[in-house]
Amino acid sequence: MTHARLQRQLSAYLDGELAPAEADEVRTHLAGCTACREELSRLQHVKSLLQRLPERSVPRELWAAIHPRIGSPPTATVESLGEVFRRMLRRPALALGAAVLIVALVAVPLVRGRIERLRAGEVGADLFVREHALASADDPLSDRAYLGLLIGDANLALAGTPREESQEDR
Amino acid sequence: MSRGGVLVVWLVTVLAVPGLGAPARPPWPSAAAAVAAMLMAPALVDYEGTKVLSAVRGDRAETVTALESYKRLGKLRLEFLSPESVSGRLIVDDGASSWQYEPSYHLVIRGPSFLRPPGSPAQAQDILRGYLVAVLGAEEVIGRQTIVVAMEPRAGGAGRRYWVDQATGAVLRMEERDATGEIVFTSFFTRISFGLNLPPALFRFHLPAGARIISLFLSGDPVDSPAALRRQSGFGAAMPASLSYGYRFRDGTVSRFGALATSAATYTDGMRALTVYQTPSTKMAFPRVGMQVKLEAADARLLDLGYVRLLIWQWRGITYALAGSLPAAALIVIADEMTSR
Repeated sequence: MTHARLQRQLSAYLDGELAPAEADEVRTHLAGCTACREELSRLQHVKSLLQRLPERSVPRELWAAIHPRIGSPPTATVESLGEVFRRMLRRPALALGAAVLIVALVAVPLVRGRIERLRAGEVGADLFVREHALASADDPLSDRAYLGLLIGDANLALAGTPREESQEDR
Repeated sequence: MSRGGVLVVWLVTVLAVPGLGAPARPPWPSAAAAVAAMLMAPALVDYEGTKVLSAVRGDRAETVTALESYKRLGKLRLEFLSPESVSGRLIVDDGASSWQYEPSYHLVIRGPSFLRPPGSPAQAQDILRGYLVAVLGAEEVIGRQTIVVAMEPRAGGAGRRYWVDQATGAVLRMEERDATGEIVFTSFFTRISFGLNLPPALFRFHLPAGARIISLFLSGDPVDSPAALRRQSGFGAAMPASLSYGYRFRDGTVSRFGALATSAATYTDGMRALTVYQTPSTKMAFPRVGMQVKLEAADARLLDLGYVRLLIWQWRGITYALAGSLPAAALIVIADEMTSR
């Protein structure tokens, strides 16, 4: 086990939570590691400080406030939502903002779907040519250099950087 | 008979029987042996050479020059030299994946390998079943002896001609002609060196510092029946088991690119591939590429890339595309056949 992993186990070692074999391993490591011994000593100090703190019981009033709310319907939330709605009606700007937000939440997926459809229309031909060229690789007498050229051009288009026509191409 | 009489008889016989007295022609291999040699070549030789590719697109030809290096079994390196638009492009395929480097964008695109293991006897049989293969003769190409092999699809369509190096089986030159006999694609080596046992490091891709990397592995695992493809894609009309021109179903995959899911059924005539794509029209706008053509049931677009043609049309909520090296008229026949089912 590494030093770092053993160091992370010091707290569990101090609390006696390690298996005997793991505890032995930590003990052996401590014998030869000054840094871990210092870390263990710091942990022991913190633990002794915590043990010296007095125990406090939970105030009765706190439990009395929590108990009646367990199992009752969340009316407060409903009331607060109604209150928010009434407040919005009293402030038209807020209502308009909320309406715009709702429309945006509905419209964004629609618009995104439309954009994706248009993009698919743009690159669809390149996608088909590329996949066909890959399928043509099973033809044992096809020209590999030409397949590489077709696949390479289509790859560029799919990556959003189509091959530009040069003077020679024109 | 006098000595003069013997000479006269010999002269008359030689003139009357063509070929007699000429040096004996070395026997050409049979068509089956030629195909077997071509398929086995990738298992036997490494090579490095300069290749010129020329594809006719409409009324113009696009010519591309590349350095092509191949190492057994199934490693390829392509460095494109010209035209300017592809100059500097490097593709390294190690048999597992391919790496494409575009220096002008400082971009690396990683995708599936497009190399396959050397051809098998079963593949040779497939080719001989689907094609009429004939050895036409012998010719010299870049100083090497080759045999010329013609392959014509039995079901019709474009034919191919290969110049096969007699010593290695490697194809030094290739032509593809359309149904009218016009050459639509050629590729030939202008220089080649064999058996160099090229260093493996040449076929390892070294990522340029700071380059952007994009991975494009778009297709899922292939399925082996049209019904399984339909189930996997969850959309689309039934894929036929066979198409015109001797094409039969080979395999199918579903490709995903962003939100676009497409089913691709690949058919083969024993050698060439024909791919039928289907995708819901709600997911893909109709591509405005190529020229408009008319099908019986719909309008279509035809994109002619020279060696590969793409026919796209929409019908009953599905966008279809056919990709193959068949002539445009043949693609239209298949498209009409599919939409009339």
